[in-house]
Amino acid sequence: MEHTNKSDVLRQGVIVFIFLAVLTALEFFVAVEIGSTVLLAMIAFVKVGLVFYYYMHIYRLNVQDEDLDRHSYQYKLGTSRIGLWLFLLSDAFIFGGLFVSRFNLLGLGPLPLSSDSQFTALTITSVLLLSSFFMNRAEVSMEHGDRKGFIFGISLTILLGLVFLAGVITVEWPSAINAGVTPSSNAAGAVFFIMTGMHAFHVLTGVIFLSIVLRNGLRGLYSPEKHWAVESATTYWHFVDVVWLFFYPALYLIGKLI
Amino acid sequence: MRHYVIAGVLVIVLAVATYAGLMAIHLMPVEASAQSIPIDHLWNIEIAIISFLFALIMVPLIYSLIVFRRRKGDTSDGEHIEGNNTLEITWTVIPLIVVLILAYIGTYTLGDVLAVDPNALEINVTARQWAWSFTYPEGFTAKELHLLVNQPVVLDMQSVDVIHSFWVPQFRIKQDVLPGRITTERITPILIGNYTVTCAQLCGTGHTYMTAPVIVSTQADYDTWIQAQVAAATVAAQTPIGRGQQLVAQNGCASCHSIDGSSTGIAPTWKGLYQSQVKLSGGTNVAPGTVVIANEAYLIESIVNPSAKIVNGFQDNVMPKSFGTTLTQSQISDIVAYIETLK
Amino acid sequence: MKKFFTSALMRGLFWQLIGWIVGALFVTGVRVLMGLNPFVTGQYFFTEPAWVFGGLVGAISYVASTGAMTDWFKWAKGEEVPEHREDPPGWEKYLNVSLDHKVIGVQYTVTALFLLCVGGLFALIFRTELAHSGLQFLTLQEYNTFMSLHGIVMIVGILLGVAGLMNYLVPMLIGAQDMAFPRLNAFSYWVAPPAAVLLLSTLLFGGFDTGWTGYPPLSERAPLGMQMFFLGVAVAGWASILGGLNLLASVLRMRAKGMTPFRMPIFVWAAIATSLISTTATQLIGLSFQMVMFQRLFGMGFFDSEKGGNPILFQHLFWFYSHPAVYVFVLPGLGIISELMPVFARKPLFGYRFVAMSSLGIALVGFLVWAHHMFVSGMNPYLRIPFMFSTLLVAVPTGVKFFSWVSTLWKGKIEAPTPMLFVIGGVVVFLLGGLSGPPNATVATDLHLQNTYWIVGHFHDTMFGGYIFPFFAAIYYWFPKVTGRRMNEALGKIHFWLMMPSFLTLTLLMMRVGLLGMRRRVADYDPALGFDNYHLIMTIAAYLIAISILIFLYNLIVSVTHGEVATGNVWNSRSPEWQVPSPMPVHNYDQPFEVIGEPYDYGLPGSVYIKFEDKKSKGH
Ligand code: HEA
Ligand code: HEA
Ligand code: HEC
Ligand code: CUA
Ligand SMILES: [Cu+2]
Repeated sequence: MEHTNKSDVLRQGVIVFIFLAVLTALEFFVAVEIGSTVLLAMIAFVKVGLVFYYYMHIYRLNVQDEDLDRHSYQYKLGTSRIGLWLFLLSDAFIFGGLFVSRFNLLGLGPLPLSSDSQFTALTITSVLLLSSFFMNRAEVSMEHGDRKGFIFGISLTILLGLVFLAGVITVEWPSAINAGVTPSSNAAGAVFFIMTGMHAFHVLTGVIFLSIVLRNGLRGLYSPEKHWAVESATTYWHFVDVVWLFFYPALYLIGKLI
Repeated sequence: MRHYVIAGVLVIVLAVATYAGLMAIHLMPVEASAQSIPIDHLWNIEIAIISFLFALIMVPLIYSLIVFRRRKGDTSDGEHIEGNNTLEITWTVIPLIVVLILAYIGTYTLGDVLAVDPNALEINVTARQWAWSFTYPEGFTAKELHLLVNQPVVLDMQSVDVIHSFWVPQFRIKQDVLPGRITTERITPILIGNYTVTCAQLCGTGHTYMTAPVIVSTQADYDTWIQAQVAAATVAAQTPIGRGQQLVAQNGCASCHSIDGSSTGIAPTWKGLYQSQVKLSGGTNVAPGTVVIANEAYLIESIVNPSAKIVNGFQDNVMPKSFGTTLTQSQISDIVAYIETLK
Repeated sequence: MKKFFTSALMRGLFWQLIGWIVGALFVTGVRVLMGLNPFVTGQYFFTEPAWVFGGLVGAISYVASTGAMTDWFKWAKGEEVPEHREDPPGWEKYLNVSLDHKVIGVQYTVTALFLLCVGGLFALIFRTELAHSGLQFLTLQEYNTFMSLHGIVMIVGILLGVAGLMNYLVPMLIGAQDMAFPRLNAFSYWVAPPAAVLLLSTLLFGGFDTGWTGYPPLSERAPLGMQMFFLGVAVAGWASILGGLNLLASVLRMRAKGMTPFRMPIFVWAAIATSLISTTATQLIGLSFQMVMFQRLFGMGFFDSEKGGNPILFQHLFWFYSHPAVYVFVLPGLGIISELMPVFARKPLFGYRFVAMSSLGIALVGFLVWAHHMFVSGMNPYLRIPFMFSTLLVAVPTGVKFFSWVSTLWKGKIEAPTPMLFVIGGVVVFLLGGLSGPPNATVATDLHLQNTYWIVGHFHDTMFGGYIFPFFAAIYYWFPKVTGRRMNEALGKIHFWLMMPSFLTLTLLMMRVGLLGMRRRVADYDPALGFDNYHLIMTIAAYLIAISILIFLYNLIVSVTHGEVATGNVWNSRSPEWQVPSPMPVHNYDQPFEVIGEPYDYGLPGSVYIKFEDKKSKGH
């Protein structure tokens, strides 16, 4: 574990969160004023870079631990991290395939969604962003032995995850259907529902995973030294967030708005 | 050193023998289109490369197995040779160059094959499960493809259902035929004769039999045929039964339904259908085992909505469901009139 | 017998059936509540969504009931689970969930052999039909079903066989006690049997007539069996994905001391290249099949041109996996060839580094060539050129392997017991298959070759030469390691000398008729083409192959209990697993070893590859 000061890490989390929020606003602005897909892609990549580094700690993959005992917790932790990232890589191919399908079928044009959708989408995007922030808080708290902070952060994350799901399923889908975009209407409808559906499914699994971690956390099963379950749930949650960083512009922002 | 010389000679002998042997047995069908000539040229280059590489690997392999086999009682190991970087780089770079040259030849051969001729005759091809139909510039539709020797044609092809593929082996070129989009194939027949167009993409049960005759003929024969077709089409268009027969040809019904009582195994025959008793295995709203009389209303329903009543012994979802929209009311009644004549 | 019926394998089958019905009933119930038609009149009683959902629930029930997930459930509940779990002695461990990579490897291999036999049996059925023009005893629909099932069952069989080899060998070769994630490993295996059941169940649901490629729109109209095919492949895909992930993590983290990348046994490189493909690309076949499933279930118009969809998109997604997949079949096979050849030539592997890198090269370039299956599909015509270049590039690293093999043999002291025969046979057959690749890759000639028996010949040669022959070689070679006994040499030689010529006859004739105009995937052909005799010979050859395989099976089964005892270093190999007695101890190496030399230094007096550490520093 890194032995950084807790308040430094807190400050870092807040700064990253602010950056992400500003970039999201910028993205919306680009979509409205410039309508450049290239710019949108660049912003998305910057956001992903921030999340990978500060929230998902990708650099931890590169720890030199050859000398450790193969049976120690530390060494196995490194192995588990590699396994998890490989899984995420594999999962990314599904989303990549969906992404390609979207562009193959609909080109660079926007989806025929109603303008209500823009508002809903921005809202749920912010909700997801906020949840990532609190997830990061929870993990940092766990690393520093702050059990209360951990419970608080993770509970809030689960709550925000549920809000996100509710937003997609009870607000966004019906409004799309009202605008005539149904799963069976046309290719655009099919793409919209499979992309949001697959992502929502991942959010759902993430919420379940977090709930298990929360329950075990409440029973005191994790310690600052041993909390791989917390770390993996966190990483997975941020990954689902990363997917949305691409899906949001691909579904809502491409093609000049207004 | 001796080993290398012997093996080298054997490689050359085997390569030449393989190439000569393969050429002698005529690997490809006759060349019947202008496009087949560059294709076969490329093919021959490939056969030469393959023969050489085959010999290059096989000879040292077999030679080693024989000459360097372990003798009885010998328990020693082979020579300790770990590798040779120069050799490795050689056999990386030389094949790389060969492959790049091959791809380059491939590129311009493709250019030759696809070359556009502005004087090409345009024929529309419709593929469906499981029949071909050809619409000529003169406006009639036939189930045979007649071509004029040395006259370039461009086939504008479309499918009404699944993916098919147009292939005449003697013409070499193959092109998939897709629903909802037009693909083209350009050929210039150069050899008079009768060929067969086959469907080369699996398209369901009847794929095996999805063939149609292709006839390449002289100007005189070609003109005679075209005129006869035009005349017959004009006559037929005057009666409902004649129009019905034409529609049946155009819509490929006969690829599934026979009109002479023979069995296609795909769909019931139309011979004696009218006013007969039909036993049903089910349908959207009928119980299995119901028996109905094949009156006019039944025939129309069967065309417009094939799932409504499924004939016993046949499958639902085989007959296209689109005829209700692609055919007009009067066209359907023409078809029904035609079916009624098939006693 | 009782132990057999209560084993995880049989328990799973039972629960799969129950889960299937419960799932179907659930959907039917939901349909009733929604006021939809709960049942369909006609053959299948339940509706399509009910069957599909049931199939999924059934597959999950299978895995859950075997106990492969029990430890995870315990973890989730916060209970302690022991790090290791010993298997009870006896044969039952092979039918139950085991965490030992060697047991799992054997489980995979046996399942693979079973599927290869089933797929081969399907081939015999439709080959018999093809022996003569005209329809003999199959309907068109039955022909297509058997042909399609032959393709996919064989492919899944190979995938499991690949997993079997990698699972059994890699931890041993790198000096590890097990894979990095033993529970995940067991899970990966146990999703395979329900997937096989799903695939074979297509026979009960009207079959499917699209070939193993399942192109829409045809697959949209195919009978219900189509959905079971999609589901089966998607489920089997998870075995590949998770298995590959596990393997990569194991090789990255569990190598013995001193085993630097270029001191690993060469098969490990092949396994890495393979796993890179299978962990990533496999997702796309799952996705493409899922999209067609959804199109059938919910009318989502991905590939429906009437709804603005694009049937060619499916082909891109499908081949993005299915082309690299052929290298998943072949890389481990080529790895086996490279691994065994030095042992029997008694010479170092020629150009180790180049052979290792060529595996990676093939895998990486293999990601960029998928559209060579679509040269006539109607995709953008100019795209064909870059794909021609990339496809031809694969010939270069493959060539490096061939040249290195030949140079390994040159000036060796070659022995040719059964495993070596299969290695040589594999090289020859794969050479024919490989050399028939470039003509397909140059677009202009492919316009003629596409979808003919030439292609069928090409891929049987590549898959048989690149996988089936080396697979047999591996089985003959490592059988003593598994059982402590040898397989019968004489029978092994008969197996080889019967299979090799029959197989060459089969595929060379396939290529011959293909060039002359024989299409793929047809149940009947025009007698005027004059192919009757060729086809008759091919069918006879297929039966001879079948007989040779029956001999092999007999040899395999009998040798388990009656083979000549062989507990030592049978092949006089330098590889670590042969430095300890056979059968392999439960935890592989009682003392860890350290790598102090090169793996293939045959003919260098006094050189050693590994050195065992002292007894006292024994691990775990
Ligand atoms: C293990 C399986 C395997 C392997 C290894 C390969 C290897 C190759 N394949 Fe094959 N292929 C299949 C399995 C395989 N294939 C299958 C299953 C299909 C059909 C799928 C279906 O439709 O159902 C198929 C179809 C297929 C097609 C599509 C045909 C069509 O449908 O129109 C093409 C087209 O380019 C192709 C090309 C190649 C090439 C260039 C290689 C190369 O990798 C070969 C490289 C090897 C060599 C070339 C030989 C050795 C090299 C040298 C001696 C060096 C020097 C060589 C030169 C300079 C040329 N293959
Ligand atoms: C690894 C893969 C693999 C293997 C090993 C084989 C092996 C064989 N294949 Fe297969 N084949 C494919 C993969 C494979 N095939 C694929 C992917 C297709 C394409 C499908 C498609 O188009 O979609 C295909 C298609 C295909 C065709 C073309 C069909 C068509 O287009 O219409 C033909 C035709 O001859 C054929 C023949 C054979 C034969 C005779 C064998 C023989 O070598 C088989 C020998 C093995 C046996 C005969 C088994 C022996 C065992 C027993 C007899 C014991 C009995 C066991 C029990 C009772 C449990 N295959
Ligand atoms: C792809 C195959 C196919 C094509 C093409 C096809 N049909 Fe059919 N048809 C069937 C099948 C299968 C049935 C029996 C199952 C059913 O009743 O739906 C059938 C049933 C019928 C029946 C009822 C026959 C009976 O014996 O009761 C009629 C009438 C009919 N088709 C007319 C047509 C017409 C007209 C066309 C062309 C415009 C046509 N079909 C094209 C497959 C086909
Ligand atoms: Cu049409 Cu095959
Ligand atoms: Cu390929």
